Amino acid sequence: MIQRHILVFFISLLVSSFSFAQLAQDSITQKATDSIQPKTEKHGLRIGVDLSKPIISFIDEDSKGLEILADYRIYKNYYVAAEFGTVDKTTDEDYMNFTTKGSFFKIGANINLYKNWKGMSNEIFLGVRYGFSFFDQTINSYTPNIEGTYFEELEKTPDTKLNDLTSSWFEFVVGLKVETYNNLYLGASLSINKMINTKEPDNFQNLFVPGFNNVSLNNIGVSFNYSISYLIPNVKKSK
Amino acid sequence: MKKYIYYILTLCFIVISCEKDDFCVEDTTPKMVIRFYEDANPTTIKAVSKLTVWADGLDSIYTNQSLDSIAIPLNLYEDFTKYLFASEEQIDTINFTYELNDIFVSRSCGYKTNFENVDTTAITKNWIKNISIKQSIINHDTTAHISIFH
Repeated sequence: MIQRHILVFFISLLVSSFSFAQLAQDSITQKATDSIQPKTEKHGLRIGVDLSKPIISFIDEDSKGLEILADYRIYKNYYVAAEFGTVDKTTDEDYMNFTTKGSFFKIGANINLYKNWKGMSNEIFLGVRYGFSFFDQTINSYTPNIEGTYFEELEKTPDTKLNDLTSSWFEFVVGLKVETYNNLYLGASLSINKMINTKEPDNFQNLFVPGFNNVSLNNIGVSFNYSISYLIPNVKKSK
Repeated sequence: MKKYIYYILTLCFIVISCEKDDFCVEDTTPKMVIRFYEDANPTTIKAVSKLTVWADGLDSIYTNQSLDSIAIPLNLYEDFTKYLFASEEQIDTINFTYELNDIFVSRSCGYKTNFENVDTTAITKNWIKNISIKQSIINHDTTAHISIFH
């Protein structure tokens, strides 16, 4: 599962960087022929969706999700950014199978480190987020772990539902956004997440948290998205 | 531009390299540990000669061995396990009863089962003279839970 996530991430990274290179060239040739540059800076609310989640849902029916993202430039290269999403994922481990259902919300800021040509508005950004998630866990089945197989092993199906769980975490984000058509952006980002607080259920553990993804032993998670977003231009001011 | 790509790639490698932490290293379902003592002198450990142990209807776990302690699994899908102990052609039966308590351990280990209110019923006393329960909760298998005197 995670291997596939990483693969998708690499593909998206590759696609994005190619389009980046392509775009850079386009603008150079454009600059050579067209002497009148529109000296504008783009401002406004940019709203998008994560493309990877529907694709993963299509490949893996145990994983359903949706993520909407938005950002808004507040000052020079600084942006406020937020993501919202829902997840319904069944995780199959060696000795158990459980389903996590819930929503998450992330808010934070990005800083764009990419020096654009005039008129371009691409981004390579670093960011931080505070993430919050509320969710339920359902233990579908488990096989008690016992050394050896002297007695016949049986799977127990308790169907225990653990409701009203919450988690919060910090994220460090790195990503890029490329303007492919006018005001239409393709983006990819990768987040490293560190859990701050998680309300653990009785006799179970939050091994998967919506928005945070798999919770590793040291409470670190990795998430990524591959987004398409549209900038609603409400401010166009001269530089 | 190139510099940032390197950063992103480095990050990717970090992510890949800290992938699987998927080995079960914690303790899982414990076995029941039995020690054998001399009936005449209950503090002296006494090995059982030619000991064969099996659960009712299953293969033997120990066969014709001379042992002073054994560790045997309990059945997780019943609230009792009937064991037969043979020594020198004499067979005794002990039925162990208990309550099951499944406890979450970790992602890779899943759940383990502890046994509580361990008791014995239906004991035959051919070569076994007496039996005592030293720990009625089996949640580890490092020390003895049951003493058998013979």
